[in-house]
Amino acid sequence: MEAPVAMRGTPPTSSAVRGRATARTLACYLLPIAIVAALPFIPFVNNYIIAATVRALIFISLGQAWNIVAGIGGQLSLGHGVFLGLGCYTTGILFNRYGIPPWIGGWAAMLLSLAVAFVMGSMTLRMRGVFFALATVAVSLALVQLSRHFVDLTGGADGLALKFIGNSLWAMQARSPTPFLYAALAFVVAYYWITRWILSSSFGLEMQAVRDDEVAAAAAGVAVFRTKLLGFMLSAAMTSLAAVLYMQYYMAIDPEAAFGLSQAIQLQLPALLGGLGTALGPIVGGAVMVFLSEITNWGSTKIGVEGLDVLVYGLMLLVVILRAPNGIVGMVFKNAVARGSR
Amino acid sequence: MAGIEAVLLLALQAILSGILVGGVYGVLSVGLSLAFGVMRIVNFAHGELVMYGMYAGVIASRNFGIDPLLILPLSFLLLALVGAAQYQIVFRHFVGHATLQQLLAAIGCALVLQMIAQIIFGADARTATSTFTGQYVVFGPFFLSQAQIVAFAVAVAATLGVELMLRLTTWGKAVRAVADDLEAAEVVGVNSTSVNIGAFALASGLAGIAGTVLVTYFPTSPSVGFSLMPIIIIATTIGGLGSIGGTFLGGIFCGVIQQVTAMMWNSALQDVPLYVLLLLFIAFRPTGFFGVRSE
Repeated sequence: MEAPVAMRGTPPTSSAVRGRATARTLACYLLPIAIVAALPFIPFVNNYIIAATVRALIFISLGQAWNIVAGIGGQLSLGHGVFLGLGCYTTGILFNRYGIPPWIGGWAAMLLSLAVAFVMGSMTLRMRGVFFALATVAVSLALVQLSRHFVDLTGGADGLALKFIGNSLWAMQARSPTPFLYAALAFVVAYYWITRWILSSSFGLEMQAVRDDEVAAAAAGVAVFRTKLLGFMLSAAMTSLAAVLYMQYYMAIDPEAAFGLSQAIQLQLPALLGGLGTALGPIVGGAVMVFLSEITNWGSTKIGVEGLDVLVYGLMLLVVILRAPNGIVGMVFKNAVARGSR
Repeated sequence: MAGIEAVLLLALQAILSGILVGGVYGVLSVGLSLAFGVMRIVNFAHGELVMYGMYAGVIASRNFGIDPLLILPLSFLLLALVGAAQYQIVFRHFVGHATLQQLLAAIGCALVLQMIAQIIFGADARTATSTFTGQYVVFGPFFLSQAQIVAFAVAVAATLGVELMLRLTTWGKAVRAVADDLEAAEVVGVNSTSVNIGAFALASGLAGIAGTVLVTYFPTSPSVGFSLMPIIIIATTIGGLGSIGGTFLGGIFCGVIQQVTAMMWNSALQDVPLYVLLLLFIAFRPTGFFGVRSE
């Protein structure tokens, strides 16, 4: 029944062809999810592999959030650690001091991040991109100093350790990494769909127009400043929510891990490696980043040289920017990226 | 009222040492500003170049027993070479626009340079000693570090040297022509490629000089570049991206604010007012006091 349809040269809108395509796409989405979800039941998979997978999934979520402002919006937030740190510290402090569970603390963290992003964005997003980048660096480094200084609140340079009360859904705590695998997987799926939705929405098109040519976008009637600000705030909110997961999983945060520049770079690498401005990019890039960093960590303990992983991050960044500006996804799916559909 | 007098003396002491420290911040930042002014390149790895200048001083002092101040020309040359290589490999692709990709490439450079230093020199903090290290001058009621006075003098001399070179020599004219209008400069026969390499090498060499004088009173470590970068960025933005003299004055301004905050309020929070100032400048006067327009 299908062959004649195709022979008549109808565009692939017939229900049969579309149905087959949908089934294939669905399989493409469900298979990776199923594999990750099944990891704990595979015999040779130990906690080490699950922990590395959780780490990858967390950084994919964080990278996806950064991808919104930088990849789709074209605004280089170098200090996205601000929102990671605000998320971690807010939920941690609320839980340790007042016993407020992260289920509620997370929303408080998100509101705080929205407020900070609003102030930062209002002050700097009217200017050219360089100044926005510099301002985000300044804010994150100021927060490093402040969080070191207010020891009573933040634990100072030693950092803040979450009070561990045993396995508890209420406190989002668990001894084994497996529950976090599913939580992080849910984040990745949700953030992927949010990104897909943004890319196809008129808001996303406006963001991309601003990224590609601000003057032309303004001439076409896009509210440039408002678009940039909303993109930045959305990205900040998503980062601080994923930070809740980060905090519950690692159980501790310190000023450098929260606001430091090396952490900010780890938030950027997934999108950069995988492909800026694509929904698939941070997923591929995050997986590659964590895989490579596990290997180099293993290698650097073998040969006794510290810092190899950061060297590899730097080289990856340079190679990608100089040789493959569209990332891994850009190399594999040239046409799809051009259409902006991935 | 002895109380007020004491506070005033303390403030004056803070301002004096702020000017000395700030002069060095100025020369740290001048290179970044120059590269931006000529090529619109923001080199986030500038702090790493300074760090290598500092290690040059450490090696001279520790391994060869030479006063770091004597190797200033050598560290200028070494870092100028590193800068030229950095330009050839990375930054020549991004001349003219401080794009997202350019900033990220600079960060990549910074990470690579930092980790190479860590692998070669180890992660520990290292110091160098010059004849002036640890010596103090008593000047009326004030104590001033000799090493800081000498560093300030070197900073002023280096900045003046660059400014004069840009104003008086033919090469300087070519650099300024490229900075003003690349295409027009090419039309009248300026080879912008070689001008750019030269300017970038000069900017990097300045970082080398700055690092070598800085290490006479400030310890170095592989991550020192990252920790210097904020002050470099703030001095450059407040003074004005692209303006040599403005950036130098911006450095002094930062030094004074930092020292006054440290002595009158809290030394752990000495940089926080600077970050606030940076935000205010970006919001209301992004060209700083003397900057070139960045469009």
